[in-house]
Amino acid sequence: MFDIPFLLVLVPGVCLVATVVTAALGPHILGPRSHWPVVVALVIAAAASGVLVVQVHHQALAQWGEGRPADPAAGYEKIVTLWQWASIDDAHYAHQGDRFRIEVALRADPLTAVMLLTVTSVALLVAVYSIGYMAGDPGYWRFFTYVSLFVFSMTMLVSVSNFVLLYVFWEAVGLCSYLLIGFWYQKPAAAAAGKKAFLVNRVGDFGFALAVFLIWTTFGTLNFHDTVDAAGHIIGGVLGQSGLARPEFWYAPGWTLSAICLLLMLGACGKSAQLPLHVWLPDAMEGPTPVSALIHAATMVTAGVYLVARCAPLFVASRDVPPIVAGIGAATALVAAIIALTQTDLKRILAYSTISQLGYMFLGLGAGTLAGVSAGMFHLVTHAFFKGLLFLAAGSVMHAMGGVIDLERFGGLRQRLPITHWTFLIGCLALAGFPLLSGFFSKDEILSAVYERGLDGRDAQWYYVLFWMGLATAGMTAFYTFRAYFRAFWGPERIPPEAGHHAHESPPVMTRPLVALAVFSAGLGAVLWLSGALEQFLEATPSLVFLATHPAPWVYNVVEGHGVVPVAGTLVALAGIGLAWLLYVRQPQWLAQTVRVLHALGLYQFSKGKMFFDEAYQALVVAPLAAFARTCARWDHALIDGLVDAVGALPSTLGRALRPLQPGIVPFYALAMVLATLVLLGAMLW
Amino acid sequence: MADAEVALLVNYLVVGAALVALGAVGFVIRRNLILMFLCAEMMLQGVSLSLAAWGRYYNDFGGQILVLFIIAVAACEAAIALALVLVLFRRRGSLDVMAWQELREAELPPVVDREIPEMPAEPPPAWPSLPPAGRTPCVPREETEFRPHV
Amino acid sequence: MRPLELVLLPGGVALGAVGVWMMLPGAPAERRAPGILLAVAGAALVAAGLPGLGDPLTSALFFVLCGVTLLGAAGTLAFRSPVYAALSFGLSLLGTAGLLFLQGTQFLGVATVVVYAGAILVTFLFVLMLAEPRGRATYDRVGFGPGMAVLCGALLVATLIPTLASMGRKPEGLLRPPPPADARRQGVLASQHVKQLGNELFGRHLVAIQGAGVLLLAALVGAAVLVGQGRTRLPAPRAGQPAQSPGPNQPRPSQGSDIHG
Repeated sequence: MFDIPFLLVLVPGVCLVATVVTAALGPHILGPRSHWPVVVALVIAAAASGVLVVQVHHQALAQWGEGRPADPAAGYEKIVTLWQWASIDDAHYAHQGDRFRIEVALRADPLTAVMLLTVTSVALLVAVYSIGYMAGDPGYWRFFTYVSLFVFSMTMLVSVSNFVLLYVFWEAVGLCSYLLIGFWYQKPAAAAAGKKAFLVNRVGDFGFALAVFLIWTTFGTLNFHDTVDAAGHIIGGVLGQSGLARPEFWYAPGWTLSAICLLLMLGACGKSAQLPLHVWLPDAMEGPTPVSALIHAATMVTAGVYLVARCAPLFVASRDVPPIVAGIGAATALVAAIIALTQTDLKRILAYSTISQLGYMFLGLGAGTLAGVSAGMFHLVTHAFFKGLLFLAAGSVMHAMGGVIDLERFGGLRQRLPITHWTFLIGCLALAGFPLLSGFFSKDEILSAVYERGLDGRDAQWYYVLFWMGLATAGMTAFYTFRAYFRAFWGPERIPPEAGHHAHESPPVMTRPLVALAVFSAGLGAVLWLSGALEQFLEATPSLVFLATHPAPWVYNVVEGHGVVPVAGTLVALAGIGLAWLLYVRQPQWLAQTVRVLHALGLYQFSKGKMFFDEAYQALVVAPLAAFARTCARWDHALIDGLVDAVGALPSTLGRALRPLQPGIVPFYALAMVLATLVLLGAMLW
Repeated sequence: MADAEVALLVNYLVVGAALVALGAVGFVIRRNLILMFLCAEMMLQGVSLSLAAWGRYYNDFGGQILVLFIIAVAACEAAIALALVLVLFRRRGSLDVMAWQELREAELPPVVDREIPEMPAEPPPAWPSLPPAGRTPCVPREETEFRPHV
Repeated sequence: MRPLELVLLPGGVALGAVGVWMMLPGAPAERRAPGILLAVAGAALVAAGLPGLGDPLTSALFFVLCGVTLLGAAGTLAFRSPVYAALSFGLSLLGTAGLLFLQGTQFLGVATVVVYAGAILVTFLFVLMLAEPRGRATYDRVGFGPGMAVLCGALLVATLIPTLASMGRKPEGLLRPPPPADARRQGVLASQHVKQLGNELFGRHLVAIQGAGVLLLAALVGAAVLVGQGRTRLPAPRAGQPAQSPGPNQPRPSQGSDIHG
């Protein structure tokens, strides 16, 4: 009954059913009870994901027992093919001789199982929270429809075993993001933010599409897994075990492979808001806060991380791309942290923090080792929980403050919102990397992997520099996180007038998910790290097994932990927290002086103005396109409309020319008749 | 002999053609409704001549018979044409065909005659006047030469 | 065509056309007289280009009658006074009747004189005289598009005459040879040919005759109806005053109230 294929289909399927039911029955029948189908579906999905994780673990253990396998291609994967979507007999690539086929195939392997569990559990908590947050909104049923549609798309995204289907669901989550960001579409800012998100993602999606094309021409197949054609020959998948068994032939390095990886990275930059395509995420905070928590903290933005993790063999084999990936990640982390230092909108601080942490994940993935990839995934999981917690707590604050989320307008909410305060504090500690909370472990895993690569080997100096960037970013993260915390919860109590009678703790339906998330944020990291479960579990993924065991010199193996990194991380985090406490609680006058100095140096405006990325894009991209569009409109109006109008004016012009033939003068008509007779006569006689 | 017949035929046909052409020209030229009609009758005369010539050439009475029918139909046509001319004349008070231009296109201006001062102004008619009873009337000289203008 | 014909016929037609154009009522007085001469010259040229009639008497009669006809026709075009033009048309009709007599179709000639000249022309003359007793109308003194009209007429004739002339020279081409002369003398040229005409008319064409009769009746009725429609109904006369009806020849402004269905 609970075998893996059934579970694999159940998890997205139940979400799809919930979408349809809520969309159909929501407007009139369910009304304020529209959350029930979605919550029930998410409970089922989360439970099924949990069972799936257990099942996959058992199967993997059963396959190769304890310890690591010797065979680099012997990970565990189970493919469930539902149906064949498209097949073109005449299109095949000579490399392998198989024709173009797209099959709807779901795969169960450790990486997918981890993603599914994360997505569904966070989604469940967010959905429960939304019952309270979105209560009374006229689009209540629409919200839950979109949320369950999103969960369906995301679960399918991490489950499919084919690049084309991945692209399809990549777009689907982008669509849901657009729908949810612009949920309050009457607000012009929300509509504009949705459009911006979609358009910026489009740039990344373009790169992804080009990568898919190149994959087809390079590998002759679009599946991850190996398939068998009609004659019984094995058609190797891009990440299939037959390819992983002979990587020198399969992943021949060269510009093609590097191009594929860079284009995939471009797609990931778009979806995961990395430099230079990060500009949409802060604006996406126009959407409801649960949306920010679910999509823009925990799940959708991690799709890019998942993609790079999934295609790790490609990246590692290309040899030149992992440092670029790591560089992009580190640069993004640093830039976002610098910008977050001076923002006053709490949600925007958290948004930049998300961008920064995603940069960390890419930094980890860019290390090119199994340690790096599993560290990146570890950080993904922990980040999902503590960032989701932070967003939901911010939403709780916003709910209490009557929609105001500007830190300059409220403060000192410790006594008034106790549960929100404690959960927010736990989230901040996790984010800052306070020892023993989950963020500490995952961040240090990443920094360790980068440090190890920075010791020796290919591109060592580069990784060393990145390590220091990451460390500096960790300090800044701690600083701005606690800056926000102190400003919001410490100091004299200030309530803005919009709060009215709302300024009290949120109802239990909102606080219980906060507590749940806080528990996970606090304990999950320790549990997973100490037991090593996640790393071992992820190792069983075929493509990651390859990273662990292949003896090729450009594959870096797992390294031991280094003591210096956690110590440095802790010191830096405590320094950041301490500085924030000093400036915002203890000696506020030093804050004013610091700001003056920074202002004089111009750094303050640089950071506050988001480093003017939006203005640069507006001038370089948007304005020329708008001018082009206006020119085209003028051409259309003048030339095409002119042509059509001319054609339309033709009959009347013709009529006007022919009008003098009807002057109403009888002799004239007689003359015309004589002329006609003449012509007739001439025709007859000659 | 045959040549003479052919020559006769050809000459008559030429005369008929000339009458038809003159009739056509006259129909277009003239603006008096009645004169237009008369020019149409002239065209019918030309046709009658031709038909009669053909009938004589081929020794066929058909030509003459057709001419008789033409005459009959011309009479009907004259009756109707006259009736119509009378009705039109009552409306406008003139026999000018250019008085009827309402069926022209809306934007075109009507054709208006320019002044043609050619005929000399005729002298006012000298109506005879009677002197009082018993007196001898003094008759001016032109009285004897008076003639109505037609 | 023989080269002489090639010159004479089109030249004659052109000359005649120019002459007719000069004669038209819109032309100034000093142009009208030479126009007559030119027209006559053109006609003469054309006549010279056509095959001769053989018998001099027939020839002379034909040319005289032809001249009368054509001169009358030209007069219908040229006279500025409408009554003169109508009378000139009467002259043309007489010439036509004479030509018909020359053909041997005496009945037709008589019918032409009686019906056309006697009935139709006279009726129209009366109407003309009643309508315009003073003869000073502007519109009788201009032509409409004279140049174009004359050109068209000239082209009309010019296309016909050469064809006819060439037909005359080679009768076997376009023309069937005529029946023998004695057959003709028994037929259309017989002394009792009117009797034969009547037999044929009321024999073969009886239905057509009846149809023509019906047509005449319809025309009669129609004319009466049409004319009766336009008369204005005046209010009933008061006691003591005679009923007044508007005279037929007084100009009346055209109003919608004139119409009574």
